[in-house]
Amino acid sequence: MDGLELLKKNWKSQEATLPQVSYDEIYKMIWKRSSSIVKWIFIISICEFLFGVILNVGLADEEYWNSLEQLQIKEITIWAYGINYLITIYFMFRFYMNYRQINSTSSAKRLMKDIIKTRKTVKSYILYVLISLAVVTLSLFYLIAYHHIENTQVADSSAYVFDALDWLKFTGITIIGLGIFLGVIWFFYQLLYGILLKRLKKNYTQLENLDCD
Amino acid sequence: MIVEKELEHQFVSKLERHQNIAHKICRLYTHDRESHNDLFQEITIQLWKAYPKFRGEAKFSTWMYRVALNTAITLYRKKKRGIRTQDFDTVHFKIKAEEYDDETEQQLGLMYNAIKELNDIEKALVFLYLEDKNYKEISETLGISEVNARVKMNRIKTKLKSVLNP
Repeated sequence: MDGLELLKKNWKSQEATLPQVSYDEIYKMIWKRSSSIVKWIFIISICEFLFGVILNVGLADEEYWNSLEQLQIKEITIWAYGINYLITIYFMFRFYMNYRQINSTSSAKRLMKDIIKTRKTVKSYILYVLISLAVVTLSLFYLIAYHHIENTQVADSSAYVFDALDWLKFTGITIIGLGIFLGVIWFFYQLLYGILLKRLKKNYTQLENLDCD
Repeated sequence: MIVEKELEHQFVSKLERHQNIAHKICRLYTHDRESHNDLFQEITIQLWKAYPKFRGEAKFSTWMYRVALNTAITLYRKKKRGIRTQDFDTVHFKIKAEEYDDETEQQLGLMYNAIKELNDIEKALVFLYLEDKNYKEISETLGISEVNARVKMNRIKTKLKSVLNP
């Protein structure tokens, strides 16, 4: 007999040795989407980090450093960069660990816990970015203004004296400006991570429902 | 939410019933247990993604052949075919001859290994052939014309003939 026909005749015999996956295991596979969502969170965080580094390095030419030097904030800027990188790398590490954990989770309860943890990590990361931006912006404003006043000789200094109302206006405008700036950043992060977080949440609800059955 | 849960239940039960199709494809396209499981999971995910569009136009199994094979083909096309086939022995034990006969089983093993060496599309074609699909079904599942399916299959048959009679 032809080899192929021989195989065809006996083809069904292999079914006895095929592995069998249970209903629950298949169910779990369709919620394993979580693992790929968390992978994306990790990948996006890397891209974001690299983008930030490229932007920093690309924008920071000699002129930039000179102007920082003049304003006497070069050193503090370098420190700020360093600390920021360290913290960002720490978050990337956490994202990676979350991904690994979710990938190897086999129980629904554990997966639910991991999902909560991941959502928390992402949320605290976004919070960190917003707070650090606010702190850095405010302190830069303050330092620039402070050193600028110190360095500038004005003929008639009385014209530049700020009264209480002027300070109030200045502070008000700064806060509103900062608020808008942070709002935009927040919106950007909502786009970046918010969709993924929503999906994770949906996945979580599904698991919860499954658990109730 | 309830609708979606019902859909999930429907899908999972159907897949559970027809999972042999996916396992046979995994066995043909992968070389170890781990990648077998990976491919099975990928097929499950792809099926689940496509399920809302399924709507019961065709039989679930027919639809499953198409999606599962496409997943295997796309996934394994990217990989270089440098991976060696598994040991002869492991295949040897999986496909048993109806009447026990050492020589026949050896031939079955050789044949199976030869099929594993074919390219992705050829493998899919032979698989459907072995699953006793007619050329119309084969052509519909793989999205090629019936004539093309016949021509290709004949070529594969010739290729495989030389395996047992070198």
